[in-house]
Amino acid sequence: MKVMVCLKQVPHQDARLDVNADGTWIQDGNIKFEINSYDTYALEEALKIKDAGEADVVVVSIGPDRVTQALRTALGMGADRAIHVKDDDADLSDTLGCAKILAAIAKEENPDIVFTGFMSDDGNFSAVAPMLAELLDLPSATGVLSVEVGDSLKCERELEGGALEVVELPKPCLAAIQTGANQVRYASLKGIMQAKKKPVDVKTMADLGVSDAGAGAVKAKIEKVYVPPKGDSAEILSGSTDEIVGQLVTKIKELGVL
Amino acid sequence: MIEWSEQHLMIRDTVKRFVDEEIVPNLEALEHGDMPPYDILRKLIQTFGMDEMARARFAKQIAAEKAGSASGKKDRGAKKEESQGSDGRGDATAMSLIPIIEICRYCPGMVTAMGVSLGLTSAAIMSKGTTEQKERWALDLMTFDKVGAWAITEPGSGSDAFGSMKSTAVDNGDGTYTLNGNKTFITNGPYADTIVFICKLDEPGVDPKDRKIMNFILEKGMEGLTQTQPMRKMGLHSSPTGELFLSDVVVSKDHLLGGKPVERSKSGAKDTFSMERSGVAAMALGMIERCLELSLKYAKERVQFGKPIGEFQLIQEKLARMEVARINVENMVFRTIEGAELGRGITFAEASAMKLYSARAAVEVAMEAVQIYGGNGYMSEYLVEQLARDAKVLQIYAGTDEIQISAIARDLLSRP
Ligand SMILES: Cc1cc2nc3c(=O)[nH]c(=O)nc-3n(C[C@H](O)[C@H](O)[C@H](O)COP(=O)(O)OP(=O)(O)OC[C@H]3O[C@@H](n4cnc5c(N)ncnc54)[C@H](O)[C@@H]3O)c2cc1C
Ligand SMILES: Cc1cc2nc3c(=O)[nH]c(=O)nc-3n(C[C@H](O)[C@H](O)[C@H](O)COP(=O)(O)OP(=O)(O)OC[C@H]3O[C@@H](n4cnc5c(N)ncnc54)[C@H](O)[C@@H]3O)c2cc1C
Repeated sequence: MKVMVCLKQVPHQDARLDVNADGTWIQDGNIKFEINSYDTYALEEALKIKDAGEADVVVVSIGPDRVTQALRTALGMGADRAIHVKDDDADLSDTLGCAKILAAIAKEENPDIVFTGFMSDDGNFSAVAPMLAELLDLPSATGVLSVEVGDSLKCERELEGGALEVVELPKPCLAAIQTGANQVRYASLKGIMQAKKKPVDVKTMADLGVSDAGAGAVKAKIEKVYVPPKGDSAEILSGSTDEIVGQLVTKIKELGVL
Repeated sequence: MIEWSEQHLMIRDTVKRFVDEEIVPNLEALEHGDMPPYDILRKLIQTFGMDEMARARFAKQIAAEKAGSASGKKDRGAKKEESQGSDGRGDATAMSLIPIIEICRYCPGMVTAMGVSLGLTSAAIMSKGTTEQKERWALDLMTFDKVGAWAITEPGSGSDAFGSMKSTAVDNGDGTYTLNGNKTFITNGPYADTIVFICKLDEPGVDPKDRKIMNFILEKGMEGLTQTQPMRKMGLHSSPTGELFLSDVVVSKDHLLGGKPVERSKSGAKDTFSMERSGVAAMALGMIERCLELSLKYAKERVQFGKPIGEFQLIQEKLARMEVARINVENMVFRTIEGAELGRGITFAEASAMKLYSARAAVEVAMEAVQIYGGNGYMSEYLVEQLARDAKVLQIYAGTDEIQISAIARDLLSRP
């Protein structure tokens, strides 16, 4: 069985994020990155299948040089191979462009299961997984909390209000994993040392025969990234503690929020 | 080596995650309560596969010993050759130092508890023991299935460990020895399953000064052995420290480490000391890094006289000195790793110099961090208070500052 896991590298949750000079994205030159949290759960699902029996786990990422670190971490945790799409133009793709590039890899790899994260911590689109499934004509499920592998893939999905839904996908198929789906393992020290010997294939869009992704194919352009300006509706109360509390209670009553 | 490799940084990140998830939530119980560190340490060792690695290393060494082909120095030489590739000894050393650095950012006591068991006790058995003794006692210590203690210090003998030592072994002539003595300040003493007890052979007519040194392996629960409750102390609360009382403990000869007295040249002890001392540099680095980070954050946030205190030159001077210490101690850690990679190691005098500098640097940096935090720095709610108390021990154990100084000077003066 072959399992392909799509990993995105995103700014570290503790990184300080400042908007870049032309207001199109954040300044990402000097910050720390990590694997998108959703994707770590996706990877763990794949590694659990590997633990349970025979599975070849291939991790895939699109991004600049620094992405190697995310891939090596995944290899350290137990993935077998990595594919790194390193192509400046590919980095400028929108969600559909990314899905097309990943689809081209999936067509070469022919995995039985594709796992992705439900969304990315930075972009929050939740779009790549369903697009990828569509491009590959695969049955898919999103918001998946647990999977059971047999001849098909039984997925438990999270719905509104804590309800769960079970769907069964014939293989090959795609599942987009929700956070908290499992306990993500640590890479062992030996795993990390062995990771540097595991293969990382580096590819460009041209290698993959993809021409309709990248900057030229972007359909939705980012107009502007900005931090919302501080509103002028904030009112700072002053006085002694008793006075402030009194004013606050009056305000709350006035506004009728309670 | 001038910077961490990609693998090293990966190890760092993964250990960091463990510290955040497993140690930080328990810090209060470990440092201000009675929670012993062993369950978390065991989990650490299993999580990162260090137990499995130890088993593999152990099996290889024992197989070599049994084949009779290699032992001691020869064995080391062989290892050096085969490790010239990318999986060299440098990485192995880095792999052991990086977790020390990361854990010491929060909990230097845990590192002490771990280091004494894995580094000192199991290493003593692995370097001096017979094959049978290694199989019987060392493997469980290397995997941390059992907790070890190494007992040399006595109420009347610390820096002059061998000279003033009073603990004795009497050869009963029937293949057994009777052991007596008191040991103090023993890390893991209260909980240890396996104890290396260092004493002198009681030989009538031989001046106590010249008596042979013997190491015995003791087990928890032996008749006549008392392991006290943890002692109250200034810092390092996550490392239980206790006393051991031996009153006519009778052991068979198979408990005598190596089956014979230790050579007085103490060259074996020097290897152990070098390792212990370079471990202290790594500990200091973790504490310094954390104190500097916290100090920088506080200096930017804390406003007095209308400005962040980081804008006052007197605070800037402290931050700058902290950074100098951090760079120096990090370079010492790099030197240790590079020395291992090149197979030259570090000399005893170098290890002493590193220990002296890094212990003093850690104490200075931690105390200055308390100073930058002002009244908050004196409160237990802030981590710098704990790190300042913890740092002080680095100048005392594994040889006091004064003892390091004399080792460095003795080495300098002995050079041709
Ligand atoms: C937290 C902790 C854990 C420990 N864990 C262990 C352990 O696991 N096993 C173990 O066996 N021991 C352990 N020790 C003991 C430690 O090794 C000793 O405390 C240390 O060696 C110093 O000995 P001492 O306390 O007897 O001080 P002393 O030797 O009495 O020293 C007192 C002072 O005199 C100075 N001094 C002594 N001799 C000289 C000299 N020749 N020239 C100049 N100054 C000198 C010292 O530097 C020091 O400042 C631990 C200690 C602590 C605090
Ligand atoms: C145990 C204890 C008991 C106390 N008891 C009392 C009490 O009974 N009553 C009471 O009122 N207070 C009490 N205090 C508070 C104590 O007086 C303050 O902690 C002290 O004045 C420092 O103020 P701070 O903690 O706010 O530190 P900060 O003023 O925030 O100082 C932080 C750091 O910035 C430095 N700094 C500040 N300004 C400058 C500057 N201009 N140039 C250079 N460096 C600067 C400080 O020296 C310090 O290193 C107590 C404190 C402690 C720890």
